[in-house]
Amino acid sequence: MTDRGQMIYLDYAASTPVDPWVVEAMTALMTADGNYSNPSSTHAAGRRSVEFIAHAAGQLASLLNTSADALVWTSGATESDNLAILGAAHYRRERGRHLITMRTEHKAVTDPFSELEKQGFEVTWLDPDANGLLDIETLRAAMREDTQLVSIMQVNNETGIIQDIQSIGALCRENDTLFHVDAAQSCGKLPIDLAALPVDLMSVTAHKMYGPKGIGALYIAARTGVHVEPLLFGGGQQRKLRPGTLPAQQIVGFGATAAIAQSRINDDFGHLTALRDRMWAGIRDIPGVTVNGDIANAFPGILNVSIEDIEGESLLLALEPLCVATGSACNSKSQEPSYVLRALGRSDALAQSAIRFSFGRPTTTTDVDVAIELYRNGVDKLRRLAPGRAA
Amino acid sequence: MSSDPYSAEVRALFAAPGHGGVLDDALCAAVEEQGVRISLFATVEEGIVTALRFQAWGCPHVIAAAEAFCAESEGHAASDLLEFSVSGLMQSLSVPVEKSGRILVLEDAVRSLGSIVRGASNY
Repeated sequence: MTDRGQMIYLDYAASTPVDPWVVEAMTALMTADGNYSNPSSTHAAGRRSVEFIAHAAGQLASLLNTSADALVWTSGATESDNLAILGAAHYRRERGRHLITMRTEHKAVTDPFSELEKQGFEVTWLDPDANGLLDIETLRAAMREDTQLVSIMQVNNETGIIQDIQSIGALCRENDTLFHVDAAQSCGKLPIDLAALPVDLMSVTAHKMYGPKGIGALYIAARTGVHVEPLLFGGGQQRKLRPGTLPAQQIVGFGATAAIAQSRINDDFGHLTALRDRMWAGIRDIPGVTVNGDIANAFPGILNVSIEDIEGESLLLALEPLCVATGSACNSKSQEPSYVLRALGRSDALAQSAIRFSFGRPTTTTDVDVAIELYRNGVDKLRRLAPGRAA
Repeated sequence: MSSDPYSAEVRALFAAPGHGGVLDDALCAAVEEQGVRISLFATVEEGIVTALRFQAWGCPHVIAAAEAFCAESEGHAASDLLEFSVSGLMQSLSVPVEKSGRILVLEDAVRSLGSIVRGASNY
């Protein structure tokens, strides 16, 4: 993957390759000689599928240190976030209609909150500090007696910033407010102990942690007052919270993914830290380059950097064959600067120049060295091409 | 339909902008509009553009269009600069319509250069 003519993938925060062992486990449930039966069927083959699903639920529950009964399978983190936010807000709407989240959340969280605003709920949108962290006193000041739900992600998908979900959750408990955590970027990468954390709802997904796309889960704490209203109806599966035929092969894949993650979470963290530190050391002396976020409080799989007086789209093209994410939220049609970086106080120009490097298990130091060289060369080329500003 | 936002022509021009840079003792026009900055440098002899260079801060389409303009306009009459239109480049480079405004900055820069050349040479 390091030949200049081939792509170098440094976009693991977007998605990851599926672990071969996971593929093997999934394939066994898909073919004619495997266990492809509908788990809702009562015959022997159906019951066998149920056993596979139960085993996978146990594997994911073990990773999160919770009970398998607390997990609801979904199609991914976006659906989990929607089910948690819309479902919890609707379930508790008679108690109050005030909700809290951050401006730096993923669209899978901000859009459901915007939808709830249209439905008459009141949402307080909290700003982070300049490094992307939530000040717990800011949250305390926003809390009200009628606040029913707080949703804060554990690891930011753009900056890698890790929020203090222990303290946030403790504050929510003091206020009898439900606490939802989008853990799409942290599940399988940071230790998560749901038996100890004051978290009521947590969204996870497989494809960010070397599992298949199309499968996620929502953790719902077995605690009084914690419940969600369903978004889908029909079939009655999963206690009617998320009906539909369970995709046994996807679930088994997620289970295997979780088991692998649990066995190597510390090794992965060390590997990513070394890669991130090598990348930053290789570019930090370039004039005008800056980290978006705070390396000391960030998940090491993500390094987001901006650079002064460089046009982001041109930089992205100059970096090919690197596969990285840009600070532009959308595509060439809009070129809107990232709302996450704008919330950190970055100017439009600086936000638009942002590049997110995200590293994974397959990433090598050679990949990083090539990325350093491409970044330095790209910046140098564009700066040589750029005119000075008009007086 | 290709998902690549850049045509092969844009990629080639962006990768090797041979006319990028400045010309010493040349006439110069600089324009900054819509977040795009373009400077054009030209030497003219007997009404003919003998050399062109550009500097640009903008998206790949802007850089490619500036390079294409310089490559195509050397050796042509300086008076053509005043009539320059980006419509041909928009088509040949497959510039998406939402980027029209940025490419028009090149048109403004070229016409500005044409005015400066005319003023300097009184052709």
